[in-house]
Amino acid sequence: MSYFRITLMRSGIGLPKRTQGVLKALGLRQRMKTVFYPVTPEVAGQIMKVKELVAVQEVDKPLTKEELKAERRPDPGFYLESAVLR
Amino acid sequence: MLSRTIRKSVLDTRIPSSALPPTFLLPNRARYFNSTTQHVETPPDNFDASQLPASETSASASGLPLSKHAQSKLAKIPSPPPPPSKPLALSKSIKELLPLLAVQPSHYISAHIHGKPYLVTPGDIVRLPFHMPGVVPGDILRLNRASAIGSRDFTLKGTPYVDERIFECRARVMGTEAEPMRIKEKTKRRNRKVKTVRSKHKYTILRIAELRVKGLEEIEQ
Repeated sequence: MSYFRITLMRSGIGLPKRTQGVLKALGLRQRMKTVFYPVTPEVAGQIMKVKELVAVQEVDKPLTKEELKAERRPDPGFYLESAVLR
Repeated sequence: MLSRTIRKSVLDTRIPSSALPPTFLLPNRARYFNSTTQHVETPPDNFDASQLPASETSASASGLPLSKHAQSKLAKIPSPPPPPSKPLALSKSIKELLPLLAVQPSHYISAHIHGKPYLVTPGDIVRLPFHMPGVVPGDILRLNRASAIGSRDFTLKGTPYVDERIFECRARVMGTEAEPMRIKEKTKRRNRKVKTVRSKHKYTILRIAELRVKGLEEIEQ
């Protein structure tokens, strides 16, 4: 089963109430919020309503909140090579 | 006068000065030799130097008890990455120009630590804008993310990062430094109470100990 990965790239402020309602129904409350939904005609129709505002990707598996956060976190860029006697 | 000479002779006889190396080479001093002595963090107890975070599980299996505090501190230091699966494929222009970069006398590196770039050259002292948990003065860190390495005439730019097998960059932890105490007065309207908030942050000091661009033969091994 595949999933839509939907990210709100542009805010819905100033758009018709109906469009804002679709964003709310998708759970997209603020910019850069990412949600996952199974690929169904209903979700595809909702995406079509707000296609100018979101970035959509098809993925195999939804990510958890922690995994999304780890994705954004930059690499530490260092590791401990040799430790002194403590 | 006489008593002073007697006391001096007693002090001399107690520890023959020839038997000991100069004080700055004594093991407990040598670590702090070139670092700020203030705010040196007490290292976690029961910590064995040979035991790095990667081998933590094996150490705990062998029955070496680590306190929970020490374990949590060690877990904060990133462990060495796994060896890369596929061999490094260098493009033709890199193969041509990398030896020229390597033979130039002094190099610089734009190393990224937690996503922030630090443009440094060997010998530089870097005051990180944060306190690195779990490290003590004398530790050697290997910096493995660089967006650019260069010399006077050549620069190797990464997309976005240079492959970590091309170079070796090491930094030594010199100690921690503290900023002067900051006092902020918080007031609320229609209220005479003034709350003072104090803050005094610590920062880790690193010295870039080594930067080397590897030769082609060494990379292909």
